[in-house]
Amino acid sequence: MINLYKYIVPPRDLLLIYRLCEKLKGKSFLHVNSTREGGGVAEILQRIIPLLKDLEIDARWEVVEGNKRFFDITKRIHNGLQGNKENITEEMWAYHYEVNRTNARQIDFNADAVLIHDPQPLPLIGFRKNRKNKQWLWRCHIDVSNPRPEIWNRVRKYVESYNAAIFSVAKFSKALPVDEFFITPSIDPLSDKNRDLSEQEISSVMKKFKIPLDKPIILQVSRFDKFKDPIGVIKAYRMVKKYNDCRLILAGSAAIDDPEGEEILNKVKDFAGNDPDVHILLLKPFSDKEINALQRVAVVVLQKSLKEGFGLTVSEAMWKEKPVIGGAVGGIPLQIIHGVTGFLVYSVDGAAFRIRQFLNNPDMALRMGKKGREYVKNNFLITRQIRDYLSVWYAKESKGKSVLEL
Amino acid sequence: MGAELAPFEFKQAVSILKSTGKKANCLDNLRGTISKISKESIFHHTCQYFLKEHVLGYTNDFAQWAGESLEERALAERLSNIDPFSFKSITGTRKELLRVINDYIKDFPEPRCALSGDEFYFNETVTLTFPVGIKVRNLVEFLVALRNVDPSCIYFHFYEARVRLGRGIDDFSSWFGNTLKRKNLAKKIRTIDPFMHNIDGIRTHIIEIIEENLMAEMEGLKT
Repeated sequence: MINLYKYIVPPRDLLLIYRLCEKLKGKSFLHVNSTREGGGVAEILQRIIPLLKDLEIDARWEVVEGNKRFFDITKRIHNGLQGNKENITEEMWAYHYEVNRTNARQIDFNADAVLIHDPQPLPLIGFRKNRKNKQWLWRCHIDVSNPRPEIWNRVRKYVESYNAAIFSVAKFSKALPVDEFFITPSIDPLSDKNRDLSEQEISSVMKKFKIPLDKPIILQVSRFDKFKDPIGVIKAYRMVKKYNDCRLILAGSAAIDDPEGEEILNKVKDFAGNDPDVHILLLKPFSDKEINALQRVAVVVLQKSLKEGFGLTVSEAMWKEKPVIGGAVGGIPLQIIHGVTGFLVYSVDGAAFRIRQFLNNPDMALRMGKKGREYVKNNFLITRQIRDYLSVWYAKESKGKSVLEL
Repeated sequence: MGAELAPFEFKQAVSILKSTGKKANCLDNLRGTISKISKESIFHHTCQYFLKEHVLGYTNDFAQWAGESLEERALAERLSNIDPFSFKSITGTRKELLRVINDYIKDFPEPRCALSGDEFYFNETVTLTFPVGIKVRNLVEFLVALRNVDPSCIYFHFYEARVRLGRGIDDFSSWFGNTLKRKNLAKKIRTIDPFMHNIDGIRTHIIEIIEENLMAEMEGLKT
């Protein structure tokens, strides 16, 4: 399976993966998150786990289960870590802990390395039994550059019990008494979301959504979440529309751990009104091929986030050689080298202006698109992320050495 | 038959970024933290700057931050002229960074602080090194390999070898001079300015110098 990547990814990544797997062969690696579908974490785990198994690492994936109340609390924690003012009572924190306690009884934690993703299952660290030679790592996918202090302080108490924390971007790092690594997320070039599609596959998706290809398409793919600024995207589209006839597609799926999604979706629909050129698509889980097709027909792809963990839709679009425009937040500036692989924007006006630039300069759009694909190849493909997870695990087992010879 | 020459084995370095938990929002903070931060962090922000795919306006992260975030271009230029490879250890680089900042502060008023979110984050790396499975025994084989190896191989042998491994010079010229006994070639490789090129630029330069050397040899000229 890993051999399928041989002619797509940089050879250095595969070489290091093979070397590390010689050292870690047969060891077990447990991942825990809070949803099997929807959102970038679930999506990448669906791909990483089989690849690790193929590399003879005993990889497993467990999901913490919770009811609406639990996910409402974890959404508040999530928003608070992203800087939003949230009211989280002592009772809510206690409930968060208790749901994790219930889940801990069901999960087999017997693994050489345990990677806990995001705040939902964070308290599981309190239920680990055998500490000896086991690495418990907390992987934070959220933009925690400016968290609400009262919320971060609660989260921090759990994080300090882990062997290491992993953030996506250096700006998210905190002064912690444990090792902190940076690993950017990645896309899978062979998944349904990113593989090459035939013309027929693309046109059947567009027919299904009843979207004609008569005008340039501007696209944003993301959860319906206020931090993704879907209303701002519609405002930018309206500014562009005065100069360039175009369509706007806002496409996103609902995730089980995001109770706010429906409310935001309704607000977006109200704001869009009856404009026949604005298409709001609520995609079913696993609509990967549909997203792939939408990205391939788009002329410009946006990720106008106000807060962002990483914003992998940017890399997905860049992999398809699309010119991209992104909010200068979270991991987006790591993907968009301003003026080289796309444009970073700070306002609705900025987004509108850059869309117009791309629509009126197809050569520039093409040039940036090609640069973007090369940049993603070198930095944001799945093999690089697997390489980094294994490297952190191996580095932790090597007890603090800064140079490791394999 | 003469003794067999020791082959050159290409190795690769991959670095995983790690936080030190320290950041600076103004020049005074930067100076204070540089004076006590780990050697690995100074190494990362000066020598590993060349691992970046897009060569930025300056030659190390401190200069880049001074120029772009503090908008102190003169300081950025002064910091850019520091050659971390000219010192025998990171202590020398640290002292020189502090000397340049101290001199600047003497001459100019303390600049404004960086905007929130634009602070300097002190990082370091864990570097994993491993052979890539290519061993060469002569200059022609070396040339073929150099055209094809990953940029991180060139970084490892041309940049990283100079400081972290304490050798002072790069691995390529060392092998040319000590094993192949091509002293002039080694000398020419050492004249390449490591700051003025990205890694692919370094690759191109070394290839040109070797080709020139081989051509001269084939034409019977002294090299």
